[in-house]
Amino acid sequence: MSDVIFKVSDLAQSRTELLQAAREGRARVRDTDGTGLVMLREEELQLIELVADWSRAHSCLLRLQQLGRQPSVSELGDQLAWLRVFDLEDLREFANELDDALVAARADRDGAALRHCLHAWRVTARQLQDPLRRSVLHGAHAPEDFEDAQRPGATSPVRDVASGRADE
Amino acid sequence: MSSAYDPLQPAKRPGGRPTVAPRYRVLLHKKFRNHYAQLAERVGIQQARQMWDHLATTPGATSGIASTTILRGRAGRPRGPGWSRTVHYEVSGDARVDYQYHDAYRSNPSGDAHPVVAILTISFGSH
Repeated sequence: MSDVIFKVSDLAQSRTELLQAAREGRARVRDTDGTGLVMLREEELQLIELVADWSRAHSCLLRLQQLGRQPSVSELGDQLAWLRVFDLEDLREFANELDDALVAARADRDGAALRHCLHAWRVTARQLQDPLRRSVLHGAHAPEDFEDAQRPGATSPVRDVASGRADE
Repeated sequence: MSSAYDPLQPAKRPGGRPTVAPRYRVLLHKKFRNHYAQLAERVGIQQARQMWDHLATTPGATSGIASTTILRGRAGRPRGPGWSRTVHYEVSGDARVDYQYHDAYRSNPSGDAHPVVAILTISFGSH
């Protein structure tokens, strides 16, 4: 990062150099009242905000884990209320994966892995909101619970997996 | 003289026969039998068949036409030895399927081992 501090007048007189410094990392500008301003790539600002946001959430999760019980929706708060469908074991797994994704985001200066982690957990939360889906996704496997699924549009009878018997 | 276009030849039915022979036997959880029966109506026969073909041929691969996500936590864990993690397949913006696959499944101890895909859940409605 450049040590150059631009003046307000440089916004007009040294525009090219100032923008180049911003593209390469940071362009520092000293306002007329002495306030320090920074110009940087928008995607980098978004990454900083994303990491800061979810680092706070991660700290909150770690505090909630120390309760030793399922946190209430109000304890989870607005940002984490969607996690209420998960039990303590899943919340611990989410906190661990979130921690790994935050480290990767900071190290790679790329939020893709963090966004992917959050997306996958949000999708899982949506699937678990429905009691029927939840019971199957969390249930043990039993062959008698399944039957053959014909290719859509096929007309063959449904066949039970465990017995091999065709349903009429 | 031959022509690539014959106006009297009917177009092939969309999503006709699978281009690759199915490798996996596709199973469905009985609690979602009614959902499965509605699938083609909800998403269209072509997309429903594309989903089935993906499951029957390459359930462990990413789909070129649909978004897939591995579910997390207990919901994503294999249902037993040999089972994959749970794959969440978005058939369309209106329909999603969760499944696991097993390359050498036996429905009973004396049965033959064969590759299966188990559709665990089907859900409708936009996110």
